[in-house]
Amino acid sequence: MATAQKYSYNVEQKGLEGSDKPRRFLEAFSAILRHGNYHVALDTFSRLSAKCGRCAASCQLYEATGAEEDIPCHRSELLLRVFRRYFTNAGVLKAKLFGGFTLTDEYVDEMAESFYRCTACRRCKATCPVGIDHALVTHLARWVLAEIDVIPRALLVSVREQLEGDSGNTSAIPVPALKDTCEFLEEELDDLYNVDIKFPFDEEGAEFVFFPAVSDFIMEADTLMGNAAVMHTSGGSWTIGTGNFDGINYGLFYSDRMMEKIVGNVLDEVKRLKAKKILIGECGHATRSAWYIPTFGGPDAPDVVNCLEYAYEQFKKGKIPLKDEKIPERVTYHDPCNIARSGKIVDQPREILRAICADYVEMTPGGTENYCCGGGGGTVSIDEIREFRTGPLGQRKADQIRATGAQIVISPCANCKKQLKELCQDNGMEDVEVMGLHDLLLRVLDFGEWEKAPEAEDVAAD
Amino acid sequence: MDVWLQWAMGPLFWTAMAFMVLGLVRHVGLTVWGSFRAYRRAGDKRFPVGKLVGSTLHWLVPVGKVRNRGFFSLTTVLFHAGVILVPLFLAGHIQLWRAGVGITWPALPNGVATTLTWVVIATAFALVVQRAGAKDSRALSRFQDYALPLLIVIPFLTGFLVMHPAWNPFGRDPVLLVHVLSADLLIFLVPLTKLSHMILMPFTQLVSELAWHFPEDAGSRVGVTLGKENEPI
Repeated sequence: MATAQKYSYNVEQKGLEGSDKPRRFLEAFSAILRHGNYHVALDTFSRLSAKCGRCAASCQLYEATGAEEDIPCHRSELLLRVFRRYFTNAGVLKAKLFGGFTLTDEYVDEMAESFYRCTACRRCKATCPVGIDHALVTHLARWVLAEIDVIPRALLVSVREQLEGDSGNTSAIPVPALKDTCEFLEEELDDLYNVDIKFPFDEEGAEFVFFPAVSDFIMEADTLMGNAAVMHTSGGSWTIGTGNFDGINYGLFYSDRMMEKIVGNVLDEVKRLKAKKILIGECGHATRSAWYIPTFGGPDAPDVVNCLEYAYEQFKKGKIPLKDEKIPERVTYHDPCNIARSGKIVDQPREILRAICADYVEMTPGGTENYCCGGGGGTVSIDEIREFRTGPLGQRKADQIRATGAQIVISPCANCKKQLKELCQDNGMEDVEVMGLHDLLLRVLDFGEWEKAPEAEDVAAD
Repeated sequence: MDVWLQWAMGPLFWTAMAFMVLGLVRHVGLTVWGSFRAYRRAGDKRFPVGKLVGSTLHWLVPVGKVRNRGFFSLTTVLFHAGVILVPLFLAGHIQLWRAGVGITWPALPNGVATTLTWVVIATAFALVVQRAGAKDSRALSRFQDYALPLLIVIPFLTGFLVMHPAWNPFGRDPVLLVHVLSADLLIFLVPLTKLSHMILMPFTQLVSELAWHFPEDAGSRVGVTLGKENEPI
């Protein structure tokens, strides 16, 4: 389908057509307010907004650009103004009596641009005295925009392939190719470590069904080998489902409607395989989306475990034996916003890293107050805004990495990894290596008892 | 003058109070009802209650939150302390309540009230200056953001003059009239402006959390309402 460049990002032609965008926007907004849970929050935010500007001090984009339109409160006000005018009695009455603000095509375009300059990292939420959740407003605004077909094409085509395509995943990997890849990874593990580690497929009754960011099968071989190695040494019962093996859920970035469908497919696969739990790979947004499984699957929905949580638990139990030698390079850790902001996964990876690295250093600020990599909220998939992502949006993160002097940045998230690699390339930090936690863990795993006995002919040759 | 004073302290005050109370009750009613509705519809009803209470209390008593823009935050905290304590706990005000409706409660020593009054006046001006002086907050500001702190100065300044006749270059009654009228106006404005945060603050963390708790089928329902349920992506 044809695309056009009206915004900073490409959208499909249907997102540009028609002159009735304001009407459609309001219809979609109305439907979402009616069926969703956003009304009470918007109503409260629109009455309380103090316009104090404290959020500006916490936004990495505003810190870099200093532009008024990049202040989180300014961005949220774009949608709150529409809400106040069209969805509150006072706003409707005021408009009847005095006229004033009317939603126009240009205003919709301004929102379309603005809400994709925000990565929805939620850092500003912690600094707003009246508790306005600007990331929530961005999340909602993007959904309304999506219903009038204003969606970055990169996100749209991925979801289309995942929900309607033959492959059923965002990277369009057919099952035979997936199996070939995993076979290759098994051979690699054998060659490199002399161990027989399997990537199990479609094993019914396994404890975990594994859902990594599917792009890992193309781009992050070491992460996957690390995942498999940890499952192997810990004796974990896991499987990859050929019916659905993609943890990515871009619905989180632009549409609850899509998110609901994608989560539904994950649940179907777990049910098909009669598994008990869901194991999410190294991916922040996939994990956060999966935490919504009880929302869509009810109280009996399978438990969700992130592979970092799993690895940490096994590490504490002593089921991840380590070599004596530690990683000699200086290592730092980047917190993916989607797992760290809530405080759910902050200390676990750090504890492992401190145990396996000789020179581990913290990024400041980190943990729940971390800076986004600059590619959050799905923006990393939008290649046409790379200059913006690795420029103003990622500037803070680049400064942070530089300040640590680290040679290796650990980032247990497929999206963050892609962004950080590009960030380092574009900011003169080509010597910095970006990888997942399991990649590093693999280097120091002591396979000892799992190593295969030498082949007969090798022994004879000796 | 006496008639005007009686009117401002009597019918006008009670009208403003009734307007404020009803307005705030409406705000709370809508928020509580909206929150209840959202909770009932939430697909996942597990809430991080402890965390929610913690963050709500943190912002109601924001002493641990002054790191980001420390001076501005400190100004705000001091301003709020004075604005809340002086009108409610001034001995003269409590006497009026006792005379009017027969209720009473402990008062602040007048010396403390006077100090807090000056704190409010100084911090109100400081807030306006800081707002206008910082590029980001200046860009965000509306008329009410400047007008309200300056309006709040009036009853505090006139209150001080009434309490300290030696400092008052005007007559007692005109100053008292301005004091009461400006206070009445502020009371009237509470439900109509951002001053309503005085009652809604405890709900803000809750409503954000509720909004993230989606109804199980909100997406499907939106699809049906918009006629998109069978539309290809």
